[in-house]
Amino acid sequence: MSGKPLRIPAGLVSAVVALLIWQIATTWGPLAGTSVPTATSTLAELWNMLFMSETWDSIWQTIQMALYGFLIAVAIAIPVGILIGLSRFAFISTKFTFDFFKVIPPIVIIPITILVFGPTLQMGVFLVVFAIVFALAVQTAYGVRDADPVLIETMRCYGMGRAKQVLFARLPAASPFIAIGIRISVSAAMIVAVVAGLVGGAPGLGHDLLLAQTNGQNTVTFAIVLILGILGLAVSRLVVFLQRRLIFWTAS
Amino acid sequence: MAIAIAVNGVSMEYKTPKGTTHVLDNVSYEVQDGHFVSIVGPSGVGKTTLLRLLTGLAQPTAGEILVRGKRISSSPDDLAVVLQDYTRSLMPWLSVEKNIALPLKNQKLTKAERKERITASLAEVGLEGAESKYPWQLSGGMQQRVSIARALAVRPSILVMDEPFASVDAQTRFDLEDLVLKVRDDFGITTLMVTHDIDEAVYLSDEIVVLQGKPAKVRDVVKVDIPFPRSQMETRNDARFADLRTHVYGMVRGLE
Ligand SMILES: Nc1ncnc2c1ncn2[C@@H]1O[C@H](COP(=O)(O)OP(=O)(O)O)[C@@H](O)[C@H]1O
Ligand SMILES: [Mg+2]
Repeated sequence: MSGKPLRIPAGLVSAVVALLIWQIATTWGPLAGTSVPTATSTLAELWNMLFMSETWDSIWQTIQMALYGFLIAVAIAIPVGILIGLSRFAFISTKFTFDFFKVIPPIVIIPITILVFGPTLQMGVFLVVFAIVFALAVQTAYGVRDADPVLIETMRCYGMGRAKQVLFARLPAASPFIAIGIRISVSAAMIVAVVAGLVGGAPGLGHDLLLAQTNGQNTVTFAIVLILGILGLAVSRLVVFLQRRLIFWTAS
Repeated sequence: MAIAIAVNGVSMEYKTPKGTTHVLDNVSYEVQDGHFVSIVGPSGVGKTTLLRLLTGLAQPTAGEILVRGKRISSSPDDLAVVLQDYTRSLMPWLSVEKNIALPLKNQKLTKAERKERITASLAEVGLEGAESKYPWQLSGGMQQRVSIARALAVRPSILVMDEPFASVDAQTRFDLEDLVLKVRDDFGITTLMVTHDIDEAVYLSDEIVVLQGKPAKVRDVVKVDIPFPRSQMETRNDARFADLRTHVYGMVRGLE
């Protein structure tokens, strides 16, 4: 026999408790007989949906919008953030503009994106990029500026130029900042990818959610919400896992 | 003997929004090849400023600095530095080996040669086998040894140190002082060190440059005529050591 005691993860316990409360509330409690489906019927619906290819297509479309948007935003924001961070003048002069775009909720530009892209995957990708690129660039710029001047001067004394300073000092010094930006960006990307479907008609889970709700398919609506929750959780766990591995020196 | 470093009539002013601070005024002195020279003076007198000029990190407002007869505009090639803040001058994301290897990227070395230099420098500072450790896994004294090893690995002809032992404990400090003397003996490196510890300056140096005043001038250059090799036990109890220390202390305090 293995000596390891059986460990029940706390997260699992609270999930079961939540489901129980949901089940009780919708069977005997205040929500009984309302349009809110029971936990068991929702889980049954979810189980059914897992065997439909449409479900997986939608999940994939949502992930695609979030992922492509995220990757494009990272590819733009990090180089731009580095360049801005390297120059005091660029940092100060772009800060206002970037902060301005940062606070515009992506939902308000949906009408414009529908005009330009139509209710497509591209629209969703664009919205995701818009939602995160400014904050991520500002975050990167902050990180680059945060590099220790003593470290930079030590490198200069040893005759190491700008490129080496960026590669070996500024970028690693910025990485905890960038990691925070990325963690926030990943969640934002998922949310915006859903909103793009819910409000802007882009394909994916958001759109399915809208359809299910307008057609009065309550259990489907709730099942999709569950899928979104699980998806979001999985993604943020993955990011934290990668971050711990890549930025090992800040731990402790 | 040849002159390694010549500081000729150097003045330095900092221009800030609150006005101009005149820090150094017409500072001149020469450092002989292979000598150990300390720069002492009260806190805030401009010692670090002078080192920044010597390492090419800043340009003087007047005068010039020559390294082996050549006026410097940026950091000289064969110069290495050790700063007080060891925690801030080593990169926490690089192992000891990679930290030392970084400045070597500017030199044309084969992989084997680089490896050999790293091993040799670590051995020199008594840190054999620490290659794969990270700086934050080491004590303060050990981190400072790594900075010294990094400096030695570039095989510099000039070593510049700004209060290198100010933040380590007393015993480690003595060890590191003797380490620096050994290094000077082994490689004949011309060494310039800023310190606020006058005993340390006397113990280590061939010459002590005393900065005094606002703006700072060279108050005196004191020759330390205590023969090498020196030892912590004997040298520090030497009558000559006490005389020199009192003399330099008086000048730093503006009492002489
Ligand atoms: N970057 C700077 N800008 C303006 N003033 C400075 C700067 N660096 C140092 N100073 C001023 O120059 C004087 C000398 O500083 P420093 O060279 O650090 O002295 P020390 O190393 O001898 O303690 C101090 O009065 C300090 O405030
Ligand atoms: Mg200083």
